[in-house]
Amino acid sequence: MASEMESSLEASFTSSGALSGASAFLPPARSRIFKIIVIGDSNVGKTCLTYRFCAGRFPDRTEATIGVDFRERAVEIDGERIKIQLWDTAGQERFRKSMVQHYYRNVHAVVFVYDMTNMASFHSLPSWIEECKQHLLASDIPRILVGNKCDLRSAIQVPTDLAQKFADTHSMPLFETSAKNPNDNDHVEAIFMTLAHKLKSHKPLMLSQPPDNGVILKPEPKPSVTCWC
Amino acid sequence: MASRRAQGDGLTSSRWDGNTEKADFNAKRKKKVAEIHQALNSDPTDVAALRRMAISEGGLLTDEIRQKVWPKLLDVDASDPPPTAAGKDLRQSKDYQQVLLDVRRSLRRFPPGMPEEQRAGLQEDLIDIILLILERNPQLHYYQGYHDIVVTFLLVVGKRLATSLVEKLSTHHLRDFMDPTMDNTKHILNYLMPIIDQVNPELHDFMQRAEVGTIFALSWLITWFGHVLSDFRHVVRLYDFFLACHPLMPIYFAAVIVLYREQEVQDCDCDMASVHHLLSQIPQDLPYETLISRAGDLFVQFPSSKLAEKAAAQQQSVKTAASTFKDFELASAQQRPDMVLRQRFRGLLQPEERTKDVLTKPRTNRFVKLAVMGLTVALGAAALAVVKSALEWAPKFQLQLFP
Repeated sequence: MASEMESSLEASFTSSGALSGASAFLPPARSRIFKIIVIGDSNVGKTCLTYRFCAGRFPDRTEATIGVDFRERAVEIDGERIKIQLWDTAGQERFRKSMVQHYYRNVHAVVFVYDMTNMASFHSLPSWIEECKQHLLASDIPRILVGNKCDLRSAIQVPTDLAQKFADTHSMPLFETSAKNPNDNDHVEAIFMTLAHKLKSHKPLMLSQPPDNGVILKPEPKPSVTCWC
Repeated sequence: MASRRAQGDGLTSSRWDGNTEKADFNAKRKKKVAEIHQALNSDPTDVAALRRMAISEGGLLTDEIRQKVWPKLLDVDASDPPPTAAGKDLRQSKDYQQVLLDVRRSLRRFPPGMPEEQRAGLQEDLIDIILLILERNPQLHYYQGYHDIVVTFLLVVGKRLATSLVEKLSTHHLRDFMDPTMDNTKHILNYLMPIIDQVNPELHDFMQRAEVGTIFALSWLITWFGHVLSDFRHVVRLYDFFLACHPLMPIYFAAVIVLYREQEVQDCDCDMASVHHLLSQIPQDLPYETLISRAGDLFVQFPSSKLAEKAAAQQQSVKTAASTFKDFELASAQQRPDMVLRQRFRGLLQPEERTKDVLTKPRTNRFVKLAVMGLTVALGAAALAVVKSALEWAPKFQLQLFP
């Protein structure tokens, strides 16, 4: 697993897309798409984490996300080119109630984020998990838990053992990281790549794809929906 | 020196044209400033004329004028003392944490060269204004993006007046966004696709196939584009327009932007991610004046009352609360729609040239019809209809018609 991860990391560095317009520069060949939704309280760092993974750096400044933002990066896993789509959602509760559910559609994985320096953001997790359950059709969708801002050592409020216990209860792997701290760069990278590997290995379960175009079929595919115009 | 002269000689004619153009522009601008002041000084204030000025090319031109005209457009008496929350500790508010987080992260909304201390002071003002309005109006709920609206007013008219203006705006134009839930906001977003469908059914169908949804336009709508445009001049220009119009105008403007980018949209992959990504990255060099005039045009052609049913159909089973717009009182006795009517009809008779480029790419009959209305003339027509509807929409705009 470790060596596999390493090689794929290398490959991914060469293919990391810029934040904007990344999709425009991808080659015409259709690659498989993993759609990952990132959720959690306001200001836990969802935008920074997704930006870090897709653009390779910590953003200079971020603003409140209104609605849903989308970032994408192409990576190579075991020789296969894969697009990882990250859907970055607004943290404020009112948005997720009626706005965000459209974007849960066909999601392959969920990343729950809390801020390690903010206990309240940890305590919100059960309601995020509950909500996620309501939106997702399949119950076996991979989910991971990410504690962000681990670089702010002196301000940590959520101890690792507490978070680990919680993660175990919900059968999720836990990652503690920092989107900001450059030394942890690989960690953010590793989190999403681990997820991508998991998705890839779950292929028969999670994804079905027609051989010729790499579209991930919707749970109830409608013939009129797909078009490659 | 020599080369400069040589260059100058070579460019004589174009420089001459440029100067004429510039002189023209300055003359037009001067004339408009005079007209605005005349409307301001007439007794009673000619609010209808001010609305027209706010809509027509260039909008209200300067922040100094905006300080005078925005209160009139919102029917706020600038000499009234600003609202206060007697003795309340605003920082105890349930929304304080969220407001603080959002304002702290809103650095991009302030002019780039502003000294940090000044900016920090304005950020404090911003928090104060927001919390004050929420405290005084417990029926209003804070949403992320509200701060983008308030900061625009703060930067243009200052803390004192911004408080009065934003309070009025919040209980009227923004009211639906500030419900306990965003159901009404979602309902308003549901106007977007029917508008697009009216003008360009192909584009509409493409977007439906992509299942792109309408969330890409959410921040446009609820911040009046303040969240997505980086040039403050464009933001205030749009605020001129929206303050003078029906509260649904921002959704028409959103539709106009999508329609303007029809080619780009249809060139991209027909899937949710690609289309959402493309549309949510708003180009910063949009031809704002043209788009404003088109939005006004669309509003005339496809009035919100006609679209309401379609929007309700999009909503499917979701029930909406009664609209909260209805207590709007802007249609004050001071406005003189008759005058506007007469002036605008005079404008309609002028010959029209600029529709040509639109006519060259008619995708549908409907689009032609729209173009025939004319962009430049339509601004006049739109200004008329928009002013009229701004006077009338209060009793008419009732979402509870569609339970």
